[in-house]
This record gives sequence, structure tokens and C-alpha cells, in this order.
Amino acid sequence: MTMDMELTVNGSAYQVSADPRRTLADFLREDLRLTGTHLGCEHGVCGACTVMVDGSAVRSCLMLAVQADGCDVMTIEGLERDGQLHPLQESLRDCHSFQCGFCTPGFVMTALAMIEEGSAPASEEELRENLAGNLCRCTGYQSIVEGVIEAVRRTTDQSASAQGAVEKRVS
Amino acid sequence: MRLVGAKIPRVEDRRILTGRGHYIDDVQLPFMLHSSFLRSPLAHGRINSIDVTEARRAPGVVAVYTGEDMKALAGPIKPVIPTGPAPEYFPLVTDKVLFVGDLVAMVVAESRAQAEDACELIEVDYDPLPAVVDYETALDPSVPPIFSDLESNVLVTRHLEGGDVDAAFKEADRVIEVELSQHRVADVPMETRGVVADYDDDSGQLTVHSATQSPQGVRIQLASTLDHPINKLVVLTQDVGGSFGLKINIFREDFCVCVASKQIGRPVKWIEDRNEHMIASGHAREEKILAQVAVSDAGDVLGLKAELTLDQGSYPGLPFGAAIFPSLIDVLLPGPYKVKGYSCDSKVITTNKCVYVAYRGPWAIETWARERLLDIVAHELGLDPAEIRRRNYLEGAEGDQLITGRSVSGITSRETLDRALALIDYEEVRSQQQVARNEGRCVGVGFATFLEAAPGPPEMRLGGGMFAGEQATVKLEADGRVTIITAQSPHGQGHETTLAQVVADEMGVSMDQVQVVYGDTRLTPFSIVGTGGSRAATWATGAVLVNARKVKEKVLAIAGAQLEVSPEDLEISEGIITPKGVPSKAISLAQIARQATLGPASLPPGTDANLESNERFLGEGITGSGWSGGTHACVVEVDLGTGAVKIVRYVVIEDCGRVINPGVVAGQIRGGVAQGIGQVFYERAAYDKEGNFLAGTFMDYLLPTAAEIPTIEIEYVESDPEGEIGFRGVGEGGIIVAPAALTNAIEDALLPFGAKITEMYLPPAKVLELAGIIEE
Repeated sequence: MTMDMELTVNGSAYQVSADPRRTLADFLREDLRLTGTHLGCEHGVCGACTVMVDGSAVRSCLMLAVQADGCDVMTIEGLERDGQLHPLQESLRDCHSFQCGFCTPGFVMTALAMIEEGSAPASEEELRENLAGNLCRCTGYQSIVEGVIEAVRRTTDQSASAQGAVEKRVS
Repeated sequence: MRLVGAKIPRVEDRRILTGRGHYIDDVQLPFMLHSSFLRSPLAHGRINSIDVTEARRAPGVVAVYTGEDMKALAGPIKPVIPTGPAPEYFPLVTDKVLFVGDLVAMVVAESRAQAEDACELIEVDYDPLPAVVDYETALDPSVPPIFSDLESNVLVTRHLEGGDVDAAFKEADRVIEVELSQHRVADVPMETRGVVADYDDDSGQLTVHSATQSPQGVRIQLASTLDHPINKLVVLTQDVGGSFGLKINIFREDFCVCVASKQIGRPVKWIEDRNEHMIASGHAREEKILAQVAVSDAGDVLGLKAELTLDQGSYPGLPFGAAIFPSLIDVLLPGPYKVKGYSCDSKVITTNKCVYVAYRGPWAIETWARERLLDIVAHELGLDPAEIRRRNYLEGAEGDQLITGRSVSGITSRETLDRALALIDYEEVRSQQQVARNEGRCVGVGFATFLEAAPGPPEMRLGGGMFAGEQATVKLEADGRVTIITAQSPHGQGHETTLAQVVADEMGVSMDQVQVVYGDTRLTPFSIVGTGGSRAATWATGAVLVNARKVKEKVLAIAGAQLEVSPEDLEISEGIITPKGVPSKAISLAQIARQATLGPASLPPGTDANLESNERFLGEGITGSGWSGGTHACVVEVDLGTGAVKIVRYVVIEDCGRVINPGVVAGQIRGGVAQGIGQVFYERAAYDKEGNFLAGTFMDYLLPTAAEIPTIEIEYVESDPEGEIGFRGVGEGGIIVAPAALTNAIEDALLPFGAKITEMYLPPAKVLELAGIIEE
């Protein structure tokens, strides 16, 4: 049995049939071949599979594809525009934020949701709490925190909250 | 030199930040099948019968293999590098299961879900056997060996001595005895294991896509165990989502997947899930050391006697087993200190637990045990922990050796300690500690010093057997661009960036003209470890550097003849060769490359049109001590209400010689420290007394998050900054020393309660026990 659904992924509209038991992660990876979304634990802890659904960061291993019916989904493949990296991607590159790259899409989507919601953290401590739902085994996190702070700086109008984060930055 | 030493953005980052990395689960081949394994629910048991009838009939199932089926097709498995008595075993078990997660049967189906569903339909009847789970049972001679073809559960014993240990103990005022143990943990890369095998019946070629640290290691072990011609076996590796030593191994699942592809004639994929990964991929570190330290009352460390026991779990690792590690541990245990006499007796035991694998700094217990012992001795003698280190350090003078005979001329242990203590303002921290104690708060400071043999002094490099030397290819392509072919197989270390930096500088081209090729055994030279053992900085960099120089010599010989200038008077910048100081007379690398490729006969006489070099680098030109090393120091505050430990400050003073890319090096150090923090406070691969595994998910096996890891401050002591090949490895130092610095700080905080830390694992309850607030 399959269910018909309509959704938008990275700006493209899809009319598809999906097995009701199929997770959103498997749907994105196997049906749409968007393999940038990674599966690290398949039980909702590591955050590697994080994508944005209607502007919020969600774990695509814990969501069924059919639950995204009518939704606007964005994956890591959707950030780059015309060969131009998103400022978040540029900041993360410039800060050497990542190593093996497996957790990377999840962190990027978590940080993107945070930045797009305009909820820049008031302090580094708060940012670290915000990123604590994503696991990285390579970096010790400091470079990721620095990269996100840099992205907040580059993407906001030096709002008071971003300024607070920048001032606490350890270079 | 323009690029070496600069924080160049990584070449890898564009693809990993845009979702275009290519990891093992992204491999998708036409007509590919999927596989799943039935694993043992028992730690130890005999298989009476196995019935796969229902599974074979299940939807989508193409094949089901039992142990007997597989035995007829592959094995027995023998490590290509023997390190101890090797039991006879096969890809799937044939008679006895030896740990929870052991491989009982394999299902191959059209989809992964169908394969998993069919595994559920296999009926196995077991007779449980008593499990050997702890050191005491394994060492009990009345307990039958878990491998019936071996004599004992003690697989290997080893003895090492240095100096005169009896004389050292006679001279001592006192002998302090302590048993120190570190618990079983796991490497836990964010990407689980996986493999895709693709057999072509016409050509007989087996192509294996492997998420490995060492494609050539996989190839040689597969060829041996499968009895497959090695010249018809190709291993391909693209992006690998972390490893930390785990994926140096070749796994029994790999053999099964290859056998299935050869039998069925279609590609077969296996991707491990996280629960399988925690239970059955590999565990590490379970070791203990019983130590006796002979000291003078003034604080001279005179002698050390140690007994090391390593629990390797069940099967030996491949291509080499855990039995190799005591020979690293015992050499390094006395560390950079002036011990007069030393002995170490090691045992490797086997138990009904998951396979012991390398984990970043697999010899790490030597650093933790030694640096813990120094603090315990200092406290017993009433000395400051800094004072006992300063009193006993080897200075790194010409001719200085470890008591185990390894040269340490040029090491900077003392300098890094002094700098670490200055950076944290040691005296101020001590006075604040007193203030805190008066307020009823519990603050501690701790530090520890390490050496990392990356590459090690000359006698370790040349005596390094399979680890000595590295081959690489550098070639100037027809358009003047440069290709590097490395034996490294990176999984986060940024070799596509760092190797290109070094070669771009040497060849006088920009970074974007250099391409790094890895992960294809048709092209890449042999290396048993690939990227591992912190080899890249010295061995891989040295290998590409010496070959780049050879190519450059050939190019300059051609340019010199054409420009009528001596080659020594030429320089290359941005791909243009000019006589020094005469920029008007120029020829480009691209012109020479084109001529050498398309018109080799027109080259000047006596020059070489082969603008490629692939010599093996054996360490010539390595300068400095050969040791990376340093000191970590931290300040902690213990919450006596909850047992939680806050890391207030953490500083690293690292001497890894010349830093190629500060972004990459800092990432290696911080990542290692974070894993050390995880190991002390959060991570434990726990078993119960029956050998049941207790940490099968990320809800049970806790990895530290961004909220738990503090800012880690780093300073470098770049000893030998101008050395010819003065780059040293930095992959493992962070994790090997962090547990010592942390546990020393916690013991320091809890000294008013008489705490003495002898077990590394310190969850909140254990911290409260040490403080005497709760009972064991």
C-alpha cells in the first residue's frame, strides 16, 4: 500500500506515492536520491538526519514521509544557490568547523533553522545548548560553535543578541 | 613557503557542506541486493541446530547463509599480520557463539527491510555456556578456554626490562603500589560500518567499496581469506564518516558480503545500524596496570614494576590483533622521566565480549597510568605534582633515552609543562582553590605530560617493521597541473588540503593546481594502516615532499637547458619558472609538461621526459626529536550535591614540530580531548556478569555534546620550526593525555576527602563516592 502526497523539497514540487512506513529520511535518500541527509543512529539522538520542515529543524529518521504531505522541506542540498555557498556554509568552511563531514548536514540544518527563526543565542553557552541535540565525534565542537557565531555575525544586522555572542567568542 | 603554516580553508569542505560527500551508504549500484545478519543473543553458547527454511521462503529473499554454508566458501580467517596464537574461526560461527552480537547467519534480499524481516524467521537452538566476562575468570586456569583449539584464555605474555630494576628498588626509601584500570569504551564514529561488494563474473574482478582507513589493508586481507587473486580485487574508498581506529579493521561481515556477491553475481550491500554498531563493531581500551613505584623521600622516581593485563574480547582483530598493543604500551609507560630500573609483564586475555579494536592512541593506558601514578606519589610524599615532574623529567639532551632505550633527544616536556602552568596561572589557581575551599566549594587543578611517537625517533622508525616508510606518487600532468597519489585514506583529517599545501609550496604552484588522489587500490601504493597511527604529518607529507622535489629537479633540468641557466639558479612561482632576479626570461610549468608529454624527443639531451616520481620515503630528512608531545592542564569544580564536574579551564601546550595547517591541527587536538572527556565522564561499553551488553543505543552509551565540552585553549611549542621535514603527527596526543589531566584535577579537588582515583570512569555517582558523600 502506498499513499499519495504532495510536497516541496528544496523548492521543487513533487507529487509522489510513498509507503506509509517509510521514514522521511529514507524517502529523501532513496526515492529522491538526496543523500546529503545522513543516518547516524535512526533513533533520534545524533541529529545527523536533521532537515527543515516548514522552517523548523526536524529529525527525518523520526518522521514518516507521509507526514510531510503538504510541507515545504529543505535539505542540505538546498542551501547553495547558483554555485554560491550560503553565508552559513561559508562561515563553517572558514572556521574549519568540520572534519569527516558525516554529522555536518545535521548541524548545518539545525543552525540554519536557528538563524532563520531569528533566534540568535544570547551567549556562547546558550548556543552550545542549542547545538546539543547534534552529535559530532571529530571536532570537540569548538570549531562548530565558532562557525555558527561567525555565521550569525555575517547574516544579522549586528543585533544585540548576535553582538553578545560575538563578544563572547574565543578565537 | 606560502601555504604551509597557514589556516587554508579545506578543499573537502565544499562537498561536505553541500551534501555532496560520498559515503558508503551513498553507493548505489544497478541490481544491488541488501543484507542483514542474525546475531547471537548469548555471550557464550553452543549451536545445536539452525533452521533457515522459513527465511529462505520469505518475500524478497535471494539467499540465506549459515555458518556451515559460509565455511565452505571462505576461511578459516587468519590475520595477514600474525600477532599471537590465532584460533581457527570463520566468517559466520560454525559451532559456538562467543559474544552477544556474534555472527550466526546472513540473509541477502532485494531490500534491507526484507533481509531484516527474514532474519527474524531463522530458528536457532542454543545450549548456553558460562560466559567469561572479567579478568579473574579469564585468568582462572580451571576455566576452559573459550577457543577450544587454544590452550588457555591467556593468549600472549610479554616481558620488557630496562636498566637495573632490582638495584632501583633497593635504593628506594619507599615503594608505592597501585592498581589502575581503564574501562571498555568504543570508537563510535558517526557513520557506522558498511561495505558493498560487486563481483563481475566475466572478468573475475571483485570490486569492494569499503568505508575503511586502509583500502590496501582491506584488499590484502580479503584476498587472503577469500583465496581471491589479489590482482582481480579492487578496493575503493571515498568519504568515510569517522573511524578513530575502528575502520583499520577488516570485519567478518566484509567476507560474507564478498562471498554473497561472488555466489549470486549481483552487487551486495551491508550497512550496519547503530545498535549493531554498539554491540558488535568493536570495543577498546579495557586494560589494567598493577604498578609498584620505587621512590626516594625527596621525590626521585627510581624504579617502576608493572603488570599489564589487556582484555581483547573474543576474536582477534584483522589485519592485526590487540596482541600487538602491549609492545607499544610497555615501551612508553615510563615516559619522559629519569627512571633507573623498569620491568613490565604483559598478558593479553580473551573473553566473551566484543572484539577489541584500535581506538585513537591504542597504547593510551601508559600515559594515564604514569601521570596518575606521579600524582599519587606526589600526594604521598607531600610534594606538588608540578615539582615531582620537574624533578624527574628527562631534559631531551643529546643522548637522552627512555629507560626502554628510545632516544628522546630534543623533547620539550619540561618546556610544555612550564608554559601550561604559566598559561593557567598556576599560583593564582592554587590561591583561588584555597578561597573556594574556605567557601565550601571544591576546585581542583591537574595536568599531565605525554609523548606521541609520531613518527618516533630513528630507532623506532627503522625498527617499525610494517609501519616504516611510505610511498607516494607526484606527477606533473600534461597541462602543468600536479597530481599526488597517496597511500593515506582520510576520514576527516583533511589530507586533500594539507598534502596539497605542502606540494604546492614545493612545486611553486597554487593550491587549485594540485589534486590529491586516494582510496583506489588500482592507483594507490600499499600501506597496511593507510591513515592511522598519526602517520600522515611526517610519513605521508615526507613522501609527497621528496617526490615533489624529484619532479621539480627534472623540470628545472629541462628549463635550465632551454633557458641556458643553471637549474640551481631557477625558481618557480605560480607555475612560472624564471632565473632568480631575471623575471623577463621565463618558461611555464605547463609548457614543459606539454612538451614532455607530447614531444618528449624534442627535450634537451640528458633530461627526463618522465615527470613523475614514486619513491618510497624512509625517513631521510626528518629533523627534530621525532616525538610529538606536550602538556595539558585543567581546572575543575566538583559539585558535591550532584557529583557533576565542571571543566572551568582547559589548556593544551602541544609540540608537534612545524604546523602545516593550524585549523586542521587544532581540530585534531580538540577532537581528541573531547573524546578523552567522554571517556572519563560519559562513555562506557558495559557488560553485565552474564556477558549481556548494556549500552546498545545512544541513550545508554553517552557521547558528549557541545554543552559538555569546554573551550580548549591551544598554544604550540614549535620545536625545530625550520626543519627540512619537521612536521609531526598530532592525531592521538589529545585523547591519550586528557583523561590523566582530568582525573588528576578531580583528585586534586577531592584531596580534602582523601580521594584516590584508581579507575578512570568517573560518572557523578563515582565522584560522590570518592568524596565520601555516598557509599559504594
